Amino acid sequence: MRLTALLAAALFWLAPVPALAEGEAAAIVAANRDQIEKPSRQSIGQVVTALAASGDPMADDILAAWAEKRLVVRKADQALFLATPEGDGFALTALDGTPAGTAAKAELTALKPNAGVRSVISSALVQFTLSDPDPAKRRAALDSIARDTSPETLAPLRASIPTEDDPGLRAQKERLERILALRFDPDSAARVAAIRALGTDTALDTRAALNPLVATTRIAALKAPGGNVARVLVPGRDLTEAEAYDLLVAANLAPARLTAEDQRAALVANIVEGKVGGVPVADLNTEAARDRAYTALEASGAVPVAATDDEAAKVLAAHRFYDVFTEPDPAVTTAATDALAKIDRKVAAMQAVDLGLDALSLAAIYFLAAIGLAITFGVMGVINMAHGEFITIGAYTGYVVQLFVPDYTLSLLVALPLAFAVTFAAGVAMERLVISHLYRRPLETLLATFGISIALQQILKNVFGTQARPLTAPAWLDGALTFNDVVSISYIRIAIFLLALLFLLFFLWLMKRTRLGLEARAVTQNPAMAASMGINPDRIAMLTFGLGSGIAGIAGVAIGLYAKVTSEMGADYIVQSFMTVVVGGVGNVWGTLAGATMIGSLQKLIEFLNPSNTLAAQTYMILFIILFIQFRPRGIIALRGRAAGD
Amino acid sequence: MTALLEVSGVSVSFDGFRAINNLSFSIGPAELRAIIGPNGAGKTTFMDIITGKTRPDSGTVTFGPRSISLLGLNEARIAREGIGRKFQRPTVFEDQTVEANLILALKAARSPWKVLFWSPKPADLARVRALANEVGLSGHLQRKSGELSHGQKQWLEIAMLLAQEPRLLLVDEPVAGMTPAERAQTTDLLVNLAQDRAVVVVEHDMDFVRRLDCRVTVLHEGAVLAEGSLDHVTRDPQVVSVYLGRG
Amino acid sequence: MTRSFLARTPSVLIFLAALAVFTLAITLLSEGFGAGLISTSFVKTLGKTLCLCLVALAMDLVWGYAGILSLGHMAFFALGGYMIGMWLMYARTEEIVVTALAQGGLPATPEEVQQGIATQIFGVVGSSELPAIWTFAHSLPLQLTLALSVPGLLALVFGWLAFRARVTGVYLSILTQAMTLALALYLFQNDSGLRGNNGLSGLQNLPGLTDTSQDLVSVWFFWASALALGLGYLALAWVVSGKFGSVIRAIRDDEARVRFLGYPVEAYKLFVFTLTALVATLAGVLYYPQAGIINPAELAPIASIYLAVWVAIGGRGRLYGAVIGAGFVSLLSSLFTSGRLPDIPLGPVSIAWVDWWLVILGFSFVAVTLLAPKGIGGLFDRFLHIGTPDRKGAPLGPDDGSLQEQEAQE
Repeated sequence: MRLTALLAAALFWLAPVPALAEGEAAAIVAANRDQIEKPSRQSIGQVVTALAASGDPMADDILAAWAEKRLVVRKADQALFLATPEGDGFALTALDGTPAGTAAKAELTALKPNAGVRSVISSALVQFTLSDPDPAKRRAALDSIARDTSPETLAPLRASIPTEDDPGLRAQKERLERILALRFDPDSAARVAAIRALGTDTALDTRAALNPLVATTRIAALKAPGGNVARVLVPGRDLTEAEAYDLLVAANLAPARLTAEDQRAALVANIVEGKVGGVPVADLNTEAARDRAYTALEASGAVPVAATDDEAAKVLAAHRFYDVFTEPDPAVTTAATDALAKIDRKVAAMQAVDLGLDALSLAAIYFLAAIGLAITFGVMGVINMAHGEFITIGAYTGYVVQLFVPDYTLSLLVALPLAFAVTFAAGVAMERLVISHLYRRPLETLLATFGISIALQQILKNVFGTQARPLTAPAWLDGALTFNDVVSISYIRIAIFLLALLFLLFFLWLMKRTRLGLEARAVTQNPAMAASMGINPDRIAMLTFGLGSGIAGIAGVAIGLYAKVTSEMGADYIVQSFMTVVVGGVGNVWGTLAGATMIGSLQKLIEFLNPSNTLAAQTYMILFIILFIQFRPRGIIALRGRAAGD
Repeated sequence: MTALLEVSGVSVSFDGFRAINNLSFSIGPAELRAIIGPNGAGKTTFMDIITGKTRPDSGTVTFGPRSISLLGLNEARIAREGIGRKFQRPTVFEDQTVEANLILALKAARSPWKVLFWSPKPADLARVRALANEVGLSGHLQRKSGELSHGQKQWLEIAMLLAQEPRLLLVDEPVAGMTPAERAQTTDLLVNLAQDRAVVVVEHDMDFVRRLDCRVTVLHEGAVLAEGSLDHVTRDPQVVSVYLGRG
Repeated sequence: MTRSFLARTPSVLIFLAALAVFTLAITLLSEGFGAGLISTSFVKTLGKTLCLCLVALAMDLVWGYAGILSLGHMAFFALGGYMIGMWLMYARTEEIVVTALAQGGLPATPEEVQQGIATQIFGVVGSSELPAIWTFAHSLPLQLTLALSVPGLLALVFGWLAFRARVTGVYLSILTQAMTLALALYLFQNDSGLRGNNGLSGLQNLPGLTDTSQDLVSVWFFWASALALGLGYLALAWVVSGKFGSVIRAIRDDEARVRFLGYPVEAYKLFVFTLTALVATLAGVLYYPQAGIINPAELAPIASIYLAVWVAIGGRGRLYGAVIGAGFVSLLSSLFTSGRLPDIPLGPVSIAWVDWWLVILGFSFVAVTLLAPKGIGGLFDRFLHIGTPDRKGAPLGPDDGSLQEQEAQE
């Protein structure tokens, strides 16, 4: 029957499309009224095919209504209508498409085709929608087929390909046809061809279609099974002996081993006058004694005989273990395995690209978080432990701005310079009040700034509370730039990357092209000499510190856009920032960039290798850095020679 | 006469700048030698190489009767081999007493365990007193060395060097900031020391070098330009052009 | 230098006497052995404070004397706690498991006991296997050996790597901080074998002493802590009093110069770092049975920084300063964070001490660093008229600045 439908459909598609056939459908229905009212799966195919082939625009409405049990007979005149629920009753439409008033439910009898008939109808319907003149409808039909694959859709899909004139849709149809064919085509060669034709398509649905083909089940048997064997398993190598034995037990090929609990229960149940099988209860505190007692009980027949280790080993040796493909056709499984291997290689390459993008964006974040730290460290030899709190202050500034400026784009434009200004001022104040009194005492400075860090963090906590505050990105930063199912990157991360790039350029310009940069470099290399040449180191220190802190504020806004804003947020980045500075080397923007890139990539790489455990990733990263310091104690890009001091 | 220190073919460069260029130098076990040269001639780097602070890119440095190579050794190890160095500005441990400074320098085992269980024997204390006496600090043993005058610190440092009993003494501009009387005293001390050990003096002050009355090595651009008596090298036209030409 | 050690350092005797009097007084006032005027929980607090004083001593040696600002010593402290905690928890669980299994009719086999302990301890992280690091947890002597050797070995390896590479100054501080963080993050994992962020708990229950009241146990631990502090003080005072102390202070002030005197500076630093790590570990071994619980948060880098804060407030470079700082600040801290102090009403808002204590601590720490670098211990100097050298050397000329630059970069 299906073949007939198929043939008819094929004929129909080969024949020129009838120009207009209005009323044709109604005529076909009228001619086959008996069949339609009392359809059988065997014979209804021709009617459905005829309807489908009629070219009447009403045909698919009629078929759809029929399948949905909305094709009704009006009891009064036995006429057929399409019914649409409306109020208490139904609105009726005649088969030629003209409205025919309404009717109450009691006035109508619905035709109720059985499931078999309905599937014939829906298959025909697919054909309709796949060839609908409206490309949007065709696309929707394709999507629905792809979502819910079934063998029935293969034929109509195939049939619709030759007439598809939209190249995009056609490619989609061909692709879907292959995915369906490799699963449902009855012909083995056609399935293999479909698998080959898919090539190295990395899309998720391809992989989802291929994976079931290579699914295996694990079985135990005395000799090789007749199925499509994927591989032979050796106990002890491919699976543990306990697992192998469990397989045998599951297949009823061997008795279950005696578990410690069962043995214990059996012994307890057979305590007679303080003894079990002749062994005193007090002695049963080793496994050997319990085994002895149990053997004695076995001998007396009090307990069932359990397999001993020797017996278990014998049974294991007597059986073979196999992974067997669920898919019986070896040609298909081989082709699918090959295809998956190729796809896996390609996916791995894509993942490497994706990982690279992730690493790059993480590096951008670390760069933003660390550059301020690196500058102050380089120019002043001061490690600012409160740098993390400056990041937090920047993020909270963004949050407060959003409370007053509801437009997210505008608030971001206000927040960035404002965060810079706030943290710049905080940095300058801190430099003047504390750090300038502690020059030449780097360790004291470290601790004093740490005191400030404790106090600031607690003040922020007291003011803003412990719960996370939102810093919402504008809508145009939502979503991600997606290249394919594997490679994608969110717009926020791209924006942060661009921001980091902007700051890199800014710093290069500042350091190489401005008076401030020249003086700062002079102070970095030889403060005493710089001072004797009329550079005011105090002013330079103040400005650098302010600048470093200001960038921390901007980094705070950027980080706050995708992470939660809490009083401890800065502290989460501070250690990575330190690491970036240590690894990168001091007093050089490129060093910080290299450090950030290295730390970011490394963290992503370790996370990739051990995805379940980001904590371990950080542990290993720090271990790596400690080892790295062994080889480059002064960082990747370090001042060398006499300028490096020593 | 076998040399105590033998430096041969040593080169070192910092970021492309050749601070020392194929330099060779040797000094006997009991010899006083002055090294002069214009700024940037590589005098300090030369001392850094000998004391292990800077690793040369090529060349060999051997020391002592057994001619051990100094290149693989760290600063502390080289110092224990018997090379003492006096820096240009006095570096004493200002937070500690003069006595503690001298005890630190006293020739004795240097490893942490031995130092932990070390306690001064009468002979050690006598040696400390003798050294303090020699440099005129005997009344100041219990004072913190940070309280000493600049000149006294110089003397304390010299006493510390003597306490180390080095076989080779490297002295960097010893008379900078000294009064004429102290200069004369220093001259006598250095000449006296060179009786039984090698002493290398790096100095700018030609009068002082003349008073030392010893062989002079002239460094220029990281290499030996001339060597001999002061009169000999000052007649050398190359030396004259380097000093006059470069100021 | 000829006088005996104790004669040279009278402060040791004064300190030991004060400690003895304090211990006696607390014992007489405790619930376990005396008038009951001091609650058991306060005895525990005092005992813990003594342990903190001990670790502060270690910090003072490594930072105040040798100039190594380690931000990792609380990691050794906590590791010691973990190590002893493993035994306490294992032994205590063993008692419970054996009792429970005896109810089942048969005497337990060693395997059953092992399994029972493993399930009991690791059920919380979804495991029923005893990790390999618990191999020695059944034996107190073995585990105590581990308690001292594992942190000691860690300090040795880390110190060797760091000092060998001549990492100094702020770099070293940050590296030690990173080490602490790495360790904490590692322990936070469930599969670290130490119950992840649950940590170890119930450590106040001594195995075999289930019926002994905590009133007594707390005083015992108080005594042990006082003894450890006394012995630790004596030992460290001896270490710093002689030539060794002179060498490490010289390293602190100018390590390059010490090198040219022939001292293997790295070996000294490693020695001090490892020795103080061991002292810190010992303090941790005594601290955590009194605290009763340990979790990875105890290793957070911030704990080590607080340690530095205590020592700085107490006064660096003098052992009693460290003890005073640790005692004063940690007791004050537990007072302020206990919530027992009334809030200060300020019109519409009221200020809770719990919320503002850290702010006060942070700023007073900055103030101490700026205004009183010698900390509380500096007050003793003023009292005893021990001044700084009354005449600092003349400015060292234009090279002065470059020296600072060098310090900063190292």
